[in-house]
Amino acid sequence: MHIPDGYISPTTVITTYAVALPLWIYGLKKLKEKLNEETLPLIGALSAMSFIIMMFNIPIPGGTSGHAVGAALIAILFGPWVGFVSVSLVLLIQAVVFGDGGISAYALNALSMAFVGSFSAYFVFKLVKNKKLAPFLAGWVGLVSSSFVVALALGIQPIFWTHNGQPLYFPFGLKTTMVAIVGSHMLFFGIVEGIFTKLIYNYLQEKNREFSYEK
Amino acid sequence: MKSKLYMVLSLLIVAVPLGLLSENPAWGEWEENYYQKILGFIPNGIKNAHTIESPIANYSINGLSHVVSYYLSALLGLALIYGIFYILTKIIAKKQDNHGSA
Repeated sequence: MHIPDGYISPTTVITTYAVALPLWIYGLKKLKEKLNEETLPLIGALSAMSFIIMMFNIPIPGGTSGHAVGAALIAILFGPWVGFVSVSLVLLIQAVVFGDGGISAYALNALSMAFVGSFSAYFVFKLVKNKKLAPFLAGWVGLVSSSFVVALALGIQPIFWTHNGQPLYFPFGLKTTMVAIVGSHMLFFGIVEGIFTKLIYNYLQEKNREFSYEK
Repeated sequence: MKSKLYMVLSLLIVAVPLGLLSENPAWGEWEENYYQKILGFIPNGIKNAHTIESPIANYSINGLSHVVSYYLSALLGLALIYGIFYILTKIIAKKQDNHGSA
């Protein structure tokens, strides 16, 4: 889901940065409220976990691969704004240091994987909180929602930006991106994100008094 | 919660070379010649994309094996993330101190 440079039009780049910028500013403010000597190692470890699990490329039938993100776990433990800002930071390091995801696409990648991933996971978790499967559902819905944003952003490129009938940026349309990207995340990577979220959430919950730092 | 998180994190880091098992690219993140092969052309924007040279592109370090590069990348990423959060925490603590004494 890390969109590289050159895949989205300059208009898409500017629009996504314009949307993301105020969200980052507000999110950073929310993070500041939560970040202290006590939560630093926890938020740091969860963010590092997000970085590491994105390195686990999982092959699927059809010759492609994908990965979990770990945004849901941070969002349900520390709230969606912390999830958003933490995963944004992870994505920034990936883009700048490791060339994973383009700099021009960074805002879009942050909006999909970090923002939409965190908030959708958080709301689903709140909605089904008393159910055993809540963390799994949060992870699954979070990642599938992220993939929907990616599929949408890529799929509109050939609709709006062509030259002499040839697509200028990402060439495949909505139908293709929805099936390939959202489909694979529903069937495979969303499940992995769900299992990861549930396993770690349950493990952390065991015999733990001060568990949720959310609120 | 801290020790548990560190435990999980350590396990994940130890296992990180498993992420190298797949040579498959992510859907949509193909090499340019894929577009040439499938479409008969490379979209202009993709061909002329402005990219910056990443110091450790694709998590691989010149001259080192894939596994060693991947381990070092994981540790570097971890150090950067912790470093940034650490600095943020210090800045916040300092600000609060200043407020307190003012």
